Amino acid sequence: MAVGEIAKAASGKAEARGSIQWSVAVDLKRCTGCQSCTIACKLENGTPPGVFWTRVLEKEEGTFPFAYKIFMPLRCNHCADPPCVEVCPTGASHVREQDNLVLVDQNACIGCHSCVVACPYQARFIPSSSKGYYDEQTPYESVSYKKWQAGTAQKCTLCAHRIDKGLLPACVETCPTKALTFGDRNDPNSELSKLLKERSHFQPRAELGTDPCVYYLT
Amino acid sequence: MSNGFNTELKAQQEWSWLLTIWLFLGGSGSGLFVLYLTFGLPSFYGAVALALILVGCIDLLVELGSPFRAWRTVLRAGTSWLSRGACCVSLFIVAAALSVAPRLEILSSFVPFHDSLAVQVLGWFAGLCAVVIILYPAFFFRSTSRAVPFWNTPLLPLFFVSYAVLGGAGVMLLLTPYVSAPSQVETLAIALIVLNAVMVAIHLADMRRADGSAAESVRLLNRAPLSWLFWIGVVLIGMVLPLVEIVFLRSTLALAGAFILVGGFLFRYCLLKAGVYVPISVVPAGVDLSRLNRTSTNFEREYAGMVTQRAGRQG
Repeated sequence: MAVGEIAKAASGKAEARGSIQWSVAVDLKRCTGCQSCTIACKLENGTPPGVFWTRVLEKEEGTFPFAYKIFMPLRCNHCADPPCVEVCPTGASHVREQDNLVLVDQNACIGCHSCVVACPYQARFIPSSSKGYYDEQTPYESVSYKKWQAGTAQKCTLCAHRIDKGLLPACVETCPTKALTFGDRNDPNSELSKLLKERSHFQPRAELGTDPCVYYLT
Repeated sequence: MSNGFNTELKAQQEWSWLLTIWLFLGGSGSGLFVLYLTFGLPSFYGAVALALILVGCIDLLVELGSPFRAWRTVLRAGTSWLSRGACCVSLFIVAAALSVAPRLEILSSFVPFHDSLAVQVLGWFAGLCAVVIILYPAFFFRSTSRAVPFWNTPLLPLFFVSYAVLGGAGVMLLLTPYVSAPSQVETLAIALIVLNAVMVAIHLADMRRADGSAAESVRLLNRAPLSWLFWIGVVLIGMVLPLVEIVFLRSTLALAGAFILVGGFLFRYCLLKAGVYVPISVVPAGVDLSRLNRTSTNFEREYAGMVTQRAGRQG
């Protein structure tokens, strides 16, 4: 779906609260492990050292001479039944009403680490300080680090701020091989829903009952 | 060939000594308060229980990433066990202070109300809160058990109750040189130590039979450095030595109390540190990863020549 269409879909469905379920389909056949999504996320969200809201795992499979590498991009799965929200004692971890994104209100988070442990995907982080990559914050870091607070939980927001403006998440827009497809899984006409109908896929650790909104196409 | 990404098993690193200190002080303090009410002990024990929980609260604040927002923890009692626990801790401190203060000689002259029905009711209300303080970590850990299977056991509430009451008994035994403890405490301690030993054995056997993360948790407990803390700290110091001392060496009850407390503390630490996450993402069975990147490639056929050459060289 084009950027404009996403915006149109978002604004058109604003009235039907909760009916949108933004999801991401990851085509494992297309992913080349270039880590563009990792870097795009870093640039967009200004995450601190050691924190990667999205990252690509790589794994060597097979044995010589049938050895090869495979890649799997990981992120918060924005589960429909998120364990992180259930355990949060302050309501900082919440599900956004209009599109069911799992977000963290950084002004309400107390940094108790419950959500970090409760997430079966290890997709949450609590940076202990605002220290940047060098001794002093760079001009870029001093601006971008204002987007989050040290000592509170942070995670992939699926670029909610971009979605609200009708833009695609930074990782999806950046992916050079179009391995990432963003869309509403509740909309049968979305590109994502069509892909899910056409291609075999799986949800990560679906047996845990979290109903993750990330699908891996195989 | 392993059929999955990132299948390595990793123990949680978020919670360590600070949370252990709270679980220990909160559990033992609440256990002591319940014993104080049950046996009608001198109010000194109530004050000690309150002090333990107050110190635990300070430790909890240190553990938080943003301690100045700690008041927010009471906002989600409907859904979060952590929030329910925070509510009960707050109520306990107020109710226990109001019920214990009039009975303490030092404070009674400053308190306008004395041994009235209201004070008694407050005492029992504080006792009820203490029971929740004992139990809430068990339900809280179970709510995170989709990520950490080691905590997914119906024995967890029993562990916390048993270790909390044992902790209370341990504090009473530790204080025997200064304040005499009722004789039932020793019997209670013996029974709880045996119960704990049985439950720990059942839990570990159960988890060992399970696959993946739960079995890895048991392996962690049997591998240094955690194995030292578990076998020497929890089992030897926390179970065997106190049992021997209470049954055979009755002159060293205070030491037995200290050992019980050390064992209870290390049990909680081991319980936390043995929490191994489920692997982030395992590809379900039936997905052939060798076809992911090169759909039309038959690796076996493509490299068949190479295999033959290699076999020839080796031959």
